[in-house]
Amino acid sequence: MKKTLAIVLALAALLSPVFAQGTTETAAPQAEDKPVTIDLWYGAAITEAGPPPEDWAGYKIIKDKLNIDLKLTALPSNESDQDVKIQAAGAANNLPDLFMVRRDTLLRLVKQGLVAPVDDLYAKMPVRTKNHYDDASIKNTTISGHSYGLADPGSIAKNEGLLIRKDWLDKLGLAVPKTLDELYNVMVAFTTKDPDGNGKNDTYGYGAFQEINNYEEWPGRRLEPILGAFGVEGTWNMTEASAGLNVLKPEFFDAMTFIKKCQDAGVIDPNWLAYKKDDFRAAWKQGRFGIMREQNAAYAATANYAPFDKNFPNGEWIVIDPPVGTTGKSSVGPYTTNFRIYSISAKAAKEGKADKIAQLLEWMASDEGYYLLGWGVEGVNYTKNANGIPVADGVANKDLAFSAPQGQTVTQLRNMVFYNGDIELGSRYPTYKTATSGKTMSALVTLRDMQSRKWTAEIGADMLPTPNADLKRFYEQGLSEFITGKRQLTQENWNQWIDEFKKQGGQAWNDAGVKYAQDNNLLN
Amino acid sequence: MEKQKKQKLTSLKPKLTAVAVKPTAADRSFNIIVDVFLWVLLFIIAIPLWSTITLSFRPNDYIGTNLEGMFLPIWKWSTAAYKALLGNNGFVLAFGNSLKILVMGVATALLLTIPLAYVLSIKTLPGRKILNWLIIVPYVFNVGMIPSYLLVTSLGLQDHLAAVFLPVAVSTYNCLIMRSFFEGIPNELKESARIDGASEIQVLLRIILPLSKAIILTVGLFYGVSFWNDFFHAMLYLNKNDLQPLPILLRNILMASGMNEYVEVNAFGDAPISAIKAASVFMSAIPMVIAYPFIQKYFTKGTLLGSVKG
Repeated sequence: MKKTLAIVLALAALLSPVFAQGTTETAAPQAEDKPVTIDLWYGAAITEAGPPPEDWAGYKIIKDKLNIDLKLTALPSNESDQDVKIQAAGAANNLPDLFMVRRDTLLRLVKQGLVAPVDDLYAKMPVRTKNHYDDASIKNTTISGHSYGLADPGSIAKNEGLLIRKDWLDKLGLAVPKTLDELYNVMVAFTTKDPDGNGKNDTYGYGAFQEINNYEEWPGRRLEPILGAFGVEGTWNMTEASAGLNVLKPEFFDAMTFIKKCQDAGVIDPNWLAYKKDDFRAAWKQGRFGIMREQNAAYAATANYAPFDKNFPNGEWIVIDPPVGTTGKSSVGPYTTNFRIYSISAKAAKEGKADKIAQLLEWMASDEGYYLLGWGVEGVNYTKNANGIPVADGVANKDLAFSAPQGQTVTQLRNMVFYNGDIELGSRYPTYKTATSGKTMSALVTLRDMQSRKWTAEIGADMLPTPNADLKRFYEQGLSEFITGKRQLTQENWNQWIDEFKKQGGQAWNDAGVKYAQDNNLLN
Repeated sequence: MEKQKKQKLTSLKPKLTAVAVKPTAADRSFNIIVDVFLWVLLFIIAIPLWSTITLSFRPNDYIGTNLEGMFLPIWKWSTAAYKALLGNNGFVLAFGNSLKILVMGVATALLLTIPLAYVLSIKTLPGRKILNWLIIVPYVFNVGMIPSYLLVTSLGLQDHLAAVFLPVAVSTYNCLIMRSFFEGIPNELKESARIDGASEIQVLLRIILPLSKAIILTVGLFYGVSFWNDFFHAMLYLNKNDLQPLPILLRNILMASGMNEYVEVNAFGDAPISAIKAASVFMSAIPMVIAYPFIQKYFTKGTLLGSVKG
């Protein structure tokens, strides 16, 4: 019996630290002089890095200046996990005071009465409202006439471009292609005329991989400049005149015919159907092809450009306009704007915390908050260069620099203050000289160049209904089979496939998308 | 006479002659097909494993496709990803949290499952059928996430490591396996102990448990694997950053979009993020990989015994 008791006691002792960990916060009413506790569930800027350290300067400043006791919880890195966590908390009426939320989930929470409207907060945050919010962002969170979330700017729009190897063009005596026909001729020349001069037939005109999302369906983002020449870029046509799925437009068949021609002629890197993103990026650094659509920093940031620079010190990519088709159409591709929505729980509003939250957010938008959340403490995590841009050079302890693994943790909330302004972009994409060739590079200059090209605004296209798994498979598989030759690409076969696509649910998908776009004023 | 007797006895013994069965052509073909099938199977399993291992050792300056990377000479491998992971406080903290959950979870689960399974194995127990139904019905008809969430939060378990293992500390499946095993232990052993004056707890501790090492280790392993890999409960109930276990960190690492698209470095310094991802997958599997060989002999025995009884 003593032995039994000993076992039970040992297990109890073993388990006691588990139950002892953590403290349960009580939702006691806040007295005037006591700090107001604000629970914030944020989206981490760098998912794999840890949270801000316990001695993070922000906690003290926020408490001293705003009388706010800030409690931070990083949301899961995956969006669907975020949804689960937030919805579970919502069901238990246990939502935090301020939390990042996806629009779909927000709609559900609003229906359940768990989120407070924020209409009156915009006026209480003049600096933040000026820098962060506009009509599009407010519209994004407006439900039944009220705004239920503060939609901060998301990732940078139009940050990709059509790039071509200028050194190859020069070597072959070719001009920058302007039309689709010219582009095709350059692709042929790059494939057949040994543009790298290594005596081997090992180069291709165009490089790509299958990168698909709900507003850039198959063949996907990397071939959008070609689809743009036919006016069928993106999954949807978002114009009033011909709203609907692009695949149903006759021009889509013409675009497919062109891509098929390129495929048959071998002027597209034949691995494009098998490449993953990393393979594609390794391929252009190895000089396999001379034309591609690429993201500004994936191309021009120091670490990304370095291997190419090492392999081809005389190599040079330039951003060009997307090719113009026979009907005068051209586009790098569709773009949409995305937001990071922060909402206030109805519970927090009921407890009178909304104004305090507005104070917190407005402080974050002030110079002090902007730099502290964006880069940390000046002198410790960053210094400013001659242009006032935060840089990692010159800090006393390099490990604490905002770009170093340890220092990054103090910038985990930076997405709450960044709005893609020049200071943050200048800091994120500094101008530098490449190690091998000594070339001056700047991902920011590249970005501005890419943004200046012709794009197609499809704001809200990413919110349109998506096909079910079977229809999606039918769509993607069918198109890829036409390109690979498994199905013969003739007008008759195409029409048959389109009829079948409509029967499988394509027509219903089209109609649902158009209706959603009309109902939400998304059409141009 | 003696010799004759011996001969007679020898002649009575059955004669065992080894008959070599010569495999037919069909047998040989079948064996070849099986061999080929197994080799193919081995490759199917080994290729992704090899791909992950080689990826985890990929140097930062590597340029090439994943396929080419699988054949990168070993002297060009880099241990930067492992160094970065082991030098990262977050990884060490998460590893520690996972170990705590593993140890405490398995202890709690066994502490609760063993008595329950034992009670259910006593055939003379009044209301045994009802008890069985009470356990099986929620197993088949799960209450769902929201009621569980409400229960855990109302118990004040949020932000306690116990929230990860306590709600799932008794697995019906494991309990039934264990019950079947206990039922297989001869009743006479229990009876004799009771005659000698042992209480039911003493019977359990002194008779049943010493005979049940195989099933306890097997079920313990089942629990251990599930607690070690549990992402969902940790994601749901642990908000404090210093309580995050390894699966959460692993998920965050795996979700890290190629950060160097947007900034110049990732959170692990010089190692490429793809190598970090692969290394973290590999390292998080190590404790279970180490545990399996030691428990394997009990594991096979335990699962087989549990499966044929009852």
